[in-house]
This record gives sequence, structure tokens and C-alpha cells, in this order.
Amino acid sequence: MIKASLRGLLHRKLRLTLAIVAIVLSVGFLSAITVLNDTLNKRFSGLFQTLNENVAVQVQAKEVSTGETPRLTAAQLQQLSNVDGVNGTSGDVSDEAVVPFKKDGNEVTAQGFVGVGASGDDPLGLISLREGTWPKTASEVALSANTAKLAGVKRGEIIKVFVSQVGEPKPYTVSGIVEFSGGRDSLAGESLVIFELGHAQEMFYGQKDVFAGASFSADSGVSQEELKKRITAALPSGFEAKTGDEVTEEQSNQLAGQFDFIKIILNTFAYVAAFVGIFLIYNTFNIVVAQRSRELALLRAMGASWGQVTGAVILEALIVGVVGSTLGLAAGIGAGMWGESALTGALGAEIKSAGVVVSPAAIITAYVIGILVTLIAAFVPAIKASLVPPLAAMREIARPDKSLKGLSITGAALAVPGVGIALLGLYASFTGSIFVMGFGLVLALIGLMLLSPLLARPVVRVVGMAVAWGQAGKLGVRNSLRNPRRTAVTAIALMIGVTLIGAAATVVSSFKHSLQADIGKYDVAIMIVGPNYAPPNGKTGFEASALDKVEALPGVTGAEPWWLTIESSIAGQPIPVVATDVAAAQKMWKLETVGGALRTLSAGEFVSDHNTAKSLNWKVGDSVKVRVGTTERDYKLVGIYKATPSVSGPVFGLPAVDDFEGKLAYQGFVTVAPGTDVAATVAATEKIMAGYPGVTVGDMSTFLKQFNQIFDFLLLAVTILLGMALLIAVLGILNTLLLSIVERTREMGLVRAIGLSRGGVVRMIGVESILISVFGALLGLAAGVGIGVLLCQALIEGDFLTEIVLPWGNLAAYVGAAMFFGIVAAIIPAWRAAKLDVLEAIAYE
Amino acid sequence: MSSPISAAARAADVWKVYGSGEAQVIALRGVSLEIERGKFTAIMGPSGSGKSTLMHCLAGLDSVTRGQVIIGDTVVTGLGDSGLTKLRREKVGFIFQQFNLLPTLTAEENILLPLAIAGRKPDQEWYQTVIQTVGLSDRLKHRPTELSGGQQQRVACARALAARPEVIFADEPTGNLDSRSGADILNFLRRSVTEYGQTIVMVTHDANAASYADRVVFLADGQIVDELTDPSADAVLDRIKRLDLSVQAAAE
Repeated sequence: MIKASLRGLLHRKLRLTLAIVAIVLSVGFLSAITVLNDTLNKRFSGLFQTLNENVAVQVQAKEVSTGETPRLTAAQLQQLSNVDGVNGTSGDVSDEAVVPFKKDGNEVTAQGFVGVGASGDDPLGLISLREGTWPKTASEVALSANTAKLAGVKRGEIIKVFVSQVGEPKPYTVSGIVEFSGGRDSLAGESLVIFELGHAQEMFYGQKDVFAGASFSADSGVSQEELKKRITAALPSGFEAKTGDEVTEEQSNQLAGQFDFIKIILNTFAYVAAFVGIFLIYNTFNIVVAQRSRELALLRAMGASWGQVTGAVILEALIVGVVGSTLGLAAGIGAGMWGESALTGALGAEIKSAGVVVSPAAIITAYVIGILVTLIAAFVPAIKASLVPPLAAMREIARPDKSLKGLSITGAALAVPGVGIALLGLYASFTGSIFVMGFGLVLALIGLMLLSPLLARPVVRVVGMAVAWGQAGKLGVRNSLRNPRRTAVTAIALMIGVTLIGAAATVVSSFKHSLQADIGKYDVAIMIVGPNYAPPNGKTGFEASALDKVEALPGVTGAEPWWLTIESSIAGQPIPVVATDVAAAQKMWKLETVGGALRTLSAGEFVSDHNTAKSLNWKVGDSVKVRVGTTERDYKLVGIYKATPSVSGPVFGLPAVDDFEGKLAYQGFVTVAPGTDVAATVAATEKIMAGYPGVTVGDMSTFLKQFNQIFDFLLLAVTILLGMALLIAVLGILNTLLLSIVERTREMGLVRAIGLSRGGVVRMIGVESILISVFGALLGLAAGVGIGVLLCQALIEGDFLTEIVLPWGNLAAYVGAAMFFGIVAAIIPAWRAAKLDVLEAIAYE
Repeated sequence: MSSPISAAARAADVWKVYGSGEAQVIALRGVSLEIERGKFTAIMGPSGSGKSTLMHCLAGLDSVTRGQVIIGDTVVTGLGDSGLTKLRREKVGFIFQQFNLLPTLTAEENILLPLAIAGRKPDQEWYQTVIQTVGLSDRLKHRPTELSGGQQQRVACARALAARPEVIFADEPTGNLDSRSGADILNFLRRSVTEYGQTIVMVTHDANAASYADRVVFLADGQIVDELTDPSADAVLDRIKRLDLSVQAAAE
């Protein structure tokens, strides 16, 4: 029995090819993500290993404290360096937003901007002088070789450097060039500016002879753990000691955490692709079983039990799954390798390659997903195979179309309550209502899938009128309707991807229009935005005093700075803290008071929009714990405003900025009198902001355009990530057509014999393909727009949106794309059908 | 002897060779044949005699290795795919042993399919005549699966007739039918020749079926070995017996 089914498998290998391809694609996608992720993690942890190469113990300020961030004094540092077993001591004086400028006045572009204070060679040997001298005065700096290259300066020349605590960039003379251990120009493409130690301490910490922390190397024979124990015993309060290995692991994990987020998103799309693959494989097995019913019946007539017949089909599926997973894993490893070398090209070879990592988890996931998908898909066809009566071996058993009644009733029974539950989740406000909405949508989607065979007939008829011309076209329409289940299953594979795209397009379009409409309500004409090279925390942006200069420009009626830090939490939630003059903001953004008062805030006060207040259960007068950086304080809610698409969330007063890492404002908004030359004002503002690295200035339409580009990019990203799922769906159409043609070989011969031309056969199959793809696209768009509208309504409830605008242009383009893909999918089947020999086709059994 | 004008189809010294070397099979060895217009011609012969091959070559379904085939005034030999398509639309009709109806179309749609494919309007009067002759008026809206074998073959006959082709080629049209349904079909073919002047070529191995023809051509071993005009079933059977003997004699 096993032998028979294996032989059958080989015989039908062509028919199963596309099923294997579907597995290869989805497993390959999944494996590539895992392999690339593991490889990059290994590579970056290699970077941190280099960074902490000689660090046996590192001393840092404790995570959260109240009040001032503690500093190590020079005396304390000296004391720690005297601990028995300490070899070298390196005091930490560094900052992460020290931006050098090029000669042309623009800031350099680098992977991070590091500034440190040093008085000579690094005792731990990470950095050493390549040429010139270490900076000796407050007007000298040393640069890493990479920085000198990026800025285009040589030793002895002048370089301007921006330090957030100082504000305006200041000129320095380059006293020397340094390199990293191993003679490297940089660690990871970052810039590095080294100031004279005392000067750096004054700029970064406001006083000389203090350090943020320190790193220590150990005497030989003293373990990291041992040294950590000894140093901890000598530590001043507010500090903690970690071993070099612990620090490396922490830093690697932090980075891995950022990769994880991307990995989860990519994995989601990979699983969607695998899910779509189920439909392709289901169709393959279903059709193959139908075509083999005579052979299966013969086996049954010869005494094979139904279990043996089912087992034979399942065994086939298992083999398809294993072969597909193996090839997919290989493809994924290949893609991972390619991605690694591509990233090497992009990042530069600064970070040493650690080789491609194929973890056991990657291998296990590949096989589990590949085999699981195939088995799920083959389950129903296997059962169907066992139900073939032995009698079918003797004569053609008429297989009447099974009624769609049961299927459709089940579908409706799921879809209707599903929509109801989704609406309940939308309008009822209780915890977890968003999950209720999601549950309802899933029910409705499954219902729609079950209803799709019923919908196929009317939809295909109507679409057929548009795309099918001539008798060949009509035959194509008939063919796509002769097995509504098969057409529907093929179309559903496409529907899944299109649903997600349709929903995303609807939300994006509504966002764009709502924002445009909302911005139009205010007098704000110009917007200033801080840089994106580092997460906002007060160290990037511009000084509030710069806005005073803007306010003095002709025609300007107001200029308000906003501070922003994301190193914060409010009531334990990771919510950014923004601060501004609330009274001015109330006027500029026409904020509506819901409760309390919107006024200039004192220390310990804040206001919030009504949605956040509602979801966190805040009332005016409530006290809330707010952490900014390492400082936690109690704040009192004094006012609640109505959220708008432009302004929402908690807002604090200027005193809160004292706790930020730096004092720089991140955003600025400028109002002008009617008739003011906005372009000239933008140009003048740009000039004022020229010294602040990465700060951009634009009128509202420019910013709206940028926002729109971001939204469009997100939509594009979703579409591209769904590419694999869409590709599998198109292969599914190709697959169904190929298998159907085998089934209809004799009919092909007949229509050719009675005068249909080759072109006619091509058209007949092309129309069938287009109908399937357009049906799938329409199903997907109906579901996607429905989901999108619900999501938008939820966002309107949260005041993030004001209107729902359907993206008609996009929707039409998607249908057009579906037609195109339908034509592409038909090429091979149509070619095969057209080259059929008429005589052989008619004689085909 | 009929003139070239009155011949509906002609084969001139047609050879058909399959394969090459050891595996070479010669199916037709220089067959020359004229199919008279307005006559019912039957081609008979034992299995492997080349009768089906001859019909396929005459109909342009198969190419010939040597020689020439002409249908009406069209030289079929050497026609490309578009030329053959044109020929099928205008000059030939087919009736197959397996009926070969499209399951997605109703009986009526199946009958009119060749015309629809060619983009021609059916001649209403002729169409009515055809469906009345085959006796299908009350079955027109049915799908093939809802019809008996005999009914399906009658639809196939009507389909071949509807376009009034130069020649209808019928390949064992009664082979899949019981004797009564078979007789119906043969009577219908006979009538379309007698009453409407349709030219029909039928391949069969059934002597009784052949007796409906005006002329029977006997094929053996790829060559025409004999022929009968206005045959009776007995005469056909008698001839077959003699042929079998002579074939055996030739083989020995």
C-alpha cells in the first residue's frame, strides 16, 4: 500500500510541484527571517564584546532614583581604583548627542553621535591615538578616524561641534586622530568626538571632576565575579556594579529586543503566507483525489481499508511537507546569507561578521510549520478519498454538485453574529472590548469564506459580462462556475492578502484626510521638528530661546516650543511626556475644556485629553506617578481637554522639563498674521535653526506632504510584506487552472475540433483566471474595507480620526492589479492547453 | 468515376508512418479515396487496419506522412493551425464515440456551439429542422448529465449538422450505445444524407451499421482492399469473412 502510494506520488510529481513551491515560499520566508535575525544578533553581540573587551566590572548609576542623577567624584573613582585586583580604571564621561559638522555647514551623517572626555590613552585599551595629540585645552578635540573622514577634516583644521547642553555649535581645533583596538576607524559607523576631560565634564555634568560611572579591568587571576564583589563593597550609594559579561549581555539583549519587534511583524506576514498556502495545497490534494477516484476505488475493490486509503493520502502530504520544508529551510538560509552580506554592504564592514547562524529553533520551526500546513490542507481530501465507493472503479460515478446550502447556512450563521459582535466591541466600552471586536471580525471573515462559493455565481456572472467577450469568453465564465467550491477556495487565498491591504488602505486614507481637515482648522503655518537620529529625550532639538528670534520675525504672531521625552512612564505605562505652555497651546490648537482648567501649569501639575483620562480612570484632582528619566514624581491632574487628531495625550508644564536629560525643545509651532510671506518666514526660521543638527522647518503643507508620504510608505510596506502571500495566491490560481486543464483535456480537444482557435483556448483560460482573481480581490476588498471602516470608527471614537474616506483610487488599482495577476497566472496553463494535440486530447481518458 | 467537383473530400496516395527504425509502424500505405458529395460512406476494417487513422487524416485531425488530402476545394495537407481552425469552422463536423459534449452547456448551447465559436448566426429554419429530425425539441434546456447516452449522441449529431459542413466525420458513433439507440442514430444519419444531401463519412466495425451507408470501403493493413455499393448487412458480413481469410492468407 505504501509502495503504491509512493509510486503514485512520483507519477504525479508535476501536479504536486506547486504545492511544494507554496511550502518552500512560506517556510523560506519564515526561515530567512529567523536566520537573518539570529545572524545579526550574533554579529551585534560581537560588537558589544569588542566594546567591553577588557571590562571586568562596570559601575553605573542605578536605574531609577528620585532626585538628581548621582555622579562619581574623582576622589570616589580613585578609591575604587585602589580596590585590590583592579588593573586599569576608565572614568566614564560621555554623551550620545554630540554632533560634528562638515565644512559646508551641514551636520555629518553617522550611525550615532558619541562624545567623550579623555585625558590620554584609554587605560582599558579600546581607544588609542593614531596621530597628533590628545586634546589639551577646552578649544581642542580629537576625532575618530571615521569622524575625520565623514566631516572631511584633517589634524590642525577647525571643526564645529554641537553639544546639546551648550546649544549653538562651537568651533574646535582638531589636535589628533584616534582609532579603536585592531586599528579600526569606528566600531559601527558612529562618529566620536573626544574633548579635554575637564571641559567635557563641565559641558556634560556642569562641574569638573565628576564621572557618570567607570569601567575597570582586572589583574590576572582575579575573576570578573570576584572583582565585582570587591568593588560592590566599596561602592558609594546610588551606584551598582556589573561584570563585563553582564553588561555585554544586557546591551545585546536590548538591541535584540529592538530586532524582536521587527521579527514579530515579519513573522506575522510569514504566517499569513503559510495560511494562504493551506488553500493552495488543499485544492491540489482535492483535485488530485478527484482525478484519482477510479484508482482509489480499484484499491478499495481489491480490499484496501478506508484507513489505508486515507493513510496513503496523508503519507503523500507528509512527503510533500518534508520536501517543501527542507527546500524552504535551504532557501531561507540562502536568503539569510544574502541578507547578511547585503547588510554588510550597507553598514560597512566595521562590525565584524560572525557567520550565518542557523539555530535549532529555526530548523524546528521550518519543519513544524511546513508539515503542519500540509497536513491541515490534506486532511479533508484524505477523508474524501476514503469515501470513494469501490463501485467507482467499474463505471463513471456521476458526482453531482454537492449543494452549497449547508455551507452557506453555516457561513451566514457565523458572519451575521460576527458583524454584530464586532459592532458591540466597537461601541460598548469595557476592558478588552477591542478583543471582542477582533473576535467578531474573525467570525465574520470565516463566515464570508464559507459563503464565498455561494457568492461566486452572481459575482462571476456580473464580472464575466465585463471581461468575457466572444464564445471563448463565455466558455471561460462557465468553466469558472462549474465548481464554485474550487473557484472559491482558489479566490480565498487571494482574498486574505487583499483583505489586509484593503483595511490598511482604508485606515491610511482616512488618516490622511482627517489630519488634513484638522490642520486646516488652526492658524499654525510653520512647524519645526527635531531630529530622528536619536530617540527624543531633551538632548536633541533646539533651544527655546531660538523661538524668541522666530517670534521677532515680521508677521509672526506666535511661536510655541514643545518638549518631548520618551524615556518616561505615566502611571506605570510607557507614555511619552510632553511639556509646553498649556495656556498658549489651548489658544493655538483651540483646545476644548472638558474638565478642570487649561492654564499655564506649575510644578507637579498636568492636563490630559479625555480619552486617556477615561481609559486610565483619571479625574481632575487625581494624583499620578510620573517617571522622567531616572526621576519619579507625583503629578496632579488639573485639566481635561477634548482630544483632536493634532493634539492628544497627557501634557505637562515647563517645570517638568527640569527632569529631562537635556533642555532642548523637540517641536515648535509658529502662527503668522494673514498676508505674511510664509516661504520667507520658513527660510528665516531655517537660518535661525541652522546650528541645531537635524532640526527641520517647513510650512504645514510640506509637513502634511511628509506625513502623507509616511502613511503611503507604511501602506507600501504592508503591501510588499504581503507579497509572499499574494505570490502564493497567484500560484494557487495557476495550480487550479493547470489541474483543471488536465481534468478537461477531452473538452479542450473537442472545442478545438469544432473550430475554436488556439487564441480562443488561450482566451477561455485567461477569462477563467481573471474571474477567479477578480473574485478573490472583490471578496478581499469587501472584507478589507469593512474591517477598515470598523477600525476607523474605533479611531474616531478615540478622536484620532474625524472622518472615514474610502480610497477609491487604490481600490480600483487593486482590482486592476488582480486582473493583471489573473492574466499572468493564466500564461502557463493557457500555453499548455493551446499546444494540446487535438486528436490525443479527444482520445484522453 | 466522379469528377473532382463532385468529390466532397479526396485522399491521394496517402501514407501515414508512426515512429522510425525498429518501432516503425505503417498505418496507411498509399491510400487513394474519393468521398462523393451527398453520399453516406462507411469505412470498415479489422482493428489495426488503419480505418480510424484514415478518417483522422481525411478530417485534418492528423497529418499525413506523404500524399495529399483535399476537402471541398481546400488542400488540407500542409495547413497550419489557423488554416485547420478555419477548415473546422467551415468545412467539417464531427461525431465521436464518446459523445464529447460540454457539461457546462445545455443541449441547445452544445448544438449551437460550433456556430457561436465561428461567430455565425444560426439559420433558424435549418436549426428547427435539425432538432425536429433528431427529436430533441423537449430536451433543449437539459444539461448533458441529465440526458441518456442515446440522447447525448443525438445532440452531438445535431451539433455536427447545425453548421451544414461540407463533410461530417463520424467515429464509431454507435459504439457506446445499445442497439436501439444506435439504430436511431443511424436512421438519423441516413435521413440527413437522403433528405438534406449531407455528406457523411463513418468509421465502424459493425456490419449492421455499415449497411446504412451508400458505399462501404474495406481497409486492411493500411490499404483499401475492397468496396461495396448499396450494401446489405449480410453482404457486408460476407465480405468481411472473405477479407479476414485473405488477410490471414497474406499473413501466412
